[in-house]
Amino acid sequence: MSGPINIRDLAVGARVVLGSGAEAEIVSNPNDGVWLFARYLASPRDPALVGQEDMIFAQDVVEVRP
Amino acid sequence: MTTNGPRGYRPGLVDLATGQISREIFVNDDIYAEEQERVFARSWLFVGHESQIPNPGDFFVSRMGEESVILCRDRAGAVHVFLNSCRHRGMKVCRYDDGNTTVFTCPYHGWSYGTDGALVGVPYFREAYHSALDKARWGLVEVAQMCAYKGTVWANWDAAAPPFLEYLGEFRRFLDLILDGWDGREGQAELLGGVQKWLIPCNWKFPAENFSGDSYHNISHRSVDLVGVGPSGKSRRDYGELDVARKLHVAIPDRGHQTITYVLPSGHQPQPAYQNSPEVAEYFRHCEEERRRRPGANSRLIGAPGEIFPNLALLPRQPRTLAVWHPKGAHQTEVWRFFFVDRDAPAAVKNFLRDYYIRYSGPAGMTEQDDMENWNYAHAASRGVIARRYPYTYEMGLGHAVENYEWEGLLLPGRVVDLTAAQASEEPMRNLYRRWAEFMEADSWDELMTWRRNAPREAVAAK
Amino acid sequence: MSDDRLARVLLTHEVAEFLYAEAELLDERHYDEWLALLADDIRYWMPMRRNVKYGEAAREFTREQADIAWFDEGKETLTRRVRQIQTGIHWAEEPQSRIAHFVSNVQLIEATPSVADAQEVAAKCRFLVYRNRVETETDLLIGKREDTLRRSGNGWLVARRKIILDQNVLMSKNLTFFF
Ligand code: FES
Ligand SMILES: [Fe+2]
Repeated sequence: MSGPINIRDLAVGARVVLGSGAEAEIVSNPNDGVWLFARYLASPRDPALVGQEDMIFAQDVVEVRP
Repeated sequence: MTTNGPRGYRPGLVDLATGQISREIFVNDDIYAEEQERVFARSWLFVGHESQIPNPGDFFVSRMGEESVILCRDRAGAVHVFLNSCRHRGMKVCRYDDGNTTVFTCPYHGWSYGTDGALVGVPYFREAYHSALDKARWGLVEVAQMCAYKGTVWANWDAAAPPFLEYLGEFRRFLDLILDGWDGREGQAELLGGVQKWLIPCNWKFPAENFSGDSYHNISHRSVDLVGVGPSGKSRRDYGELDVARKLHVAIPDRGHQTITYVLPSGHQPQPAYQNSPEVAEYFRHCEEERRRRPGANSRLIGAPGEIFPNLALLPRQPRTLAVWHPKGAHQTEVWRFFFVDRDAPAAVKNFLRDYYIRYSGPAGMTEQDDMENWNYAHAASRGVIARRYPYTYEMGLGHAVENYEWEGLLLPGRVVDLTAAQASEEPMRNLYRRWAEFMEADSWDELMTWRRNAPREAVAAK
Repeated sequence: MSDDRLARVLLTHEVAEFLYAEAELLDERHYDEWLALLADDIRYWMPMRRNVKYGEAAREFTREQADIAWFDEGKETLTRRVRQIQTGIHWAEEPQSRIAHFVSNVQLIEATPSVADAQEVAAKCRFLVYRNRVETETDLLIGKREDTLRRSGNGWLVARRKIILDQNVLMSKNLTFFF
């Protein structure tokens, strides 16, 4: 696994993997390096989240899908 | 008026009967601390100009007294003024001077606030707070009242304060002189880019009283009068018409606002000015003619330095500026100076004025430099225990003000001193410190709104 | 050393010597001689600086000839500033401040038409201006300068000076001196 990810400049539409195993697509990026607004595409632990929008905290982001 | 209040500001420290004011009110740290509560936390303070935040998400970080505040336009277009301090541990949530953003995110633990102030992001809200934190209670602290007036934005921390225009009272016409166009059209002032910010080692009241109408200190600007800085290259200013005008001090009692102003005789014709540049001269000639065609009292008024209580100075004539004297401890002031031009003026006029403004005002201003030297060392030389025993005198012109003033059909309400022959008076300073003492004594805004008790007519007129 | 490298060393040295000599005139309060080193069409500009978000560097400085600045001068107003000090009653400089200018990191940026025959030179440097006045009042102003020098006879004239002060809120009460 790679080191910390700088989410500050991730583009809208980019997909990120979270520590929980969930995957989300960026809807907007406030470019503060701390938060992303994203929509869940997959959430193995809590399938009810899929389709919902949420604020994603930078420390939860473990991977950016290529 | 001069009863001995519970804290003894009148007549102990501010004695208006003899016109003596103790140096303590300038140099005493305890009085300064009390002043933050009693004056700055209750007064209407100037925050900025709407043109600084034209679009949703735009923000400008300003100050209210010692505190940093964020002036911003939310995503829906509404203007807010927030305390620039995170509700979690107080970190400054915005350390930029201005910009555009979707959220204000705290660098410390990552709390994040919307441009409407709502707390929207809390790291580990579910895990660490178990979703129990009531986010609705922990948004950015917003001012109790805000008012946008002809582009300027004002705010007040006290919900019990009267609305801004009532606070301004009859002084409104003088604020209009700077915010309306030179030709008299409403709200034409445009803010030039860049706010000058600098530190002066003196109590904030030194510049506040100077701008209240210290026409006595012209001698301190002798050097610039000699070498010339005015728009025509001569002297400091460029007002031929002042030779025929009446020069007045106008003080609005019960409000604490005061100014110098000039009144033109009725039927006065524009005088040539700004002859160094034909384009500029033509612009002002045109504006002066237009102004005279507009009905209303302001067409005969020429603005001059004035002060809106407590710490906002205006100079409606050239250099056309607003300055805020932000207190920064009893012994230091952080000045913010904003410069204005007419929105519709040709570029050549704006450029010409900008050059003149910064040659005149601010830390590199050939005129203002000498003011700063005086305020600095007046303050320093007043701090000693011996010096503090000796009050300053403000008795100049005591007893020579008239209630309301009329000249050739123009009526000016307030306490007015005719300076045309007298040159100077200290009526404006007495007015400033009378109001200051009232704030220091009063426990609530009810006590401070004397006009609602004394003169219901005036309260109605200010609406 | 090749000829053009040598020419570059010599020109850089000449520029630095000029800047030191200019600072000497200011520090010795030889203001009239200093004014004589300024081209008649000099632009002397000191923008203000904002704190802006990373990536918004273009907004960091107030814009030349459009926004407010600390200084935006030509020869006429610089001359007036000198004359004001020389009245002896410019209280912000009376008694006169003790001022020392340090100029360092002199870099030759451009020489036209050529290094060997430079008629105009763009140079960058760092400045440190120390001001002490009356008793203990002390200011330290540090920053960068971008100068354009123009050949004039055996010497140089300052044709343009951009002064970049490394401060946001100006920490001095006034700017009664030159950079
Ligand atoms: S201080 Fe702001 S999140 Fe803790
Ligand atoms: Fe002054």
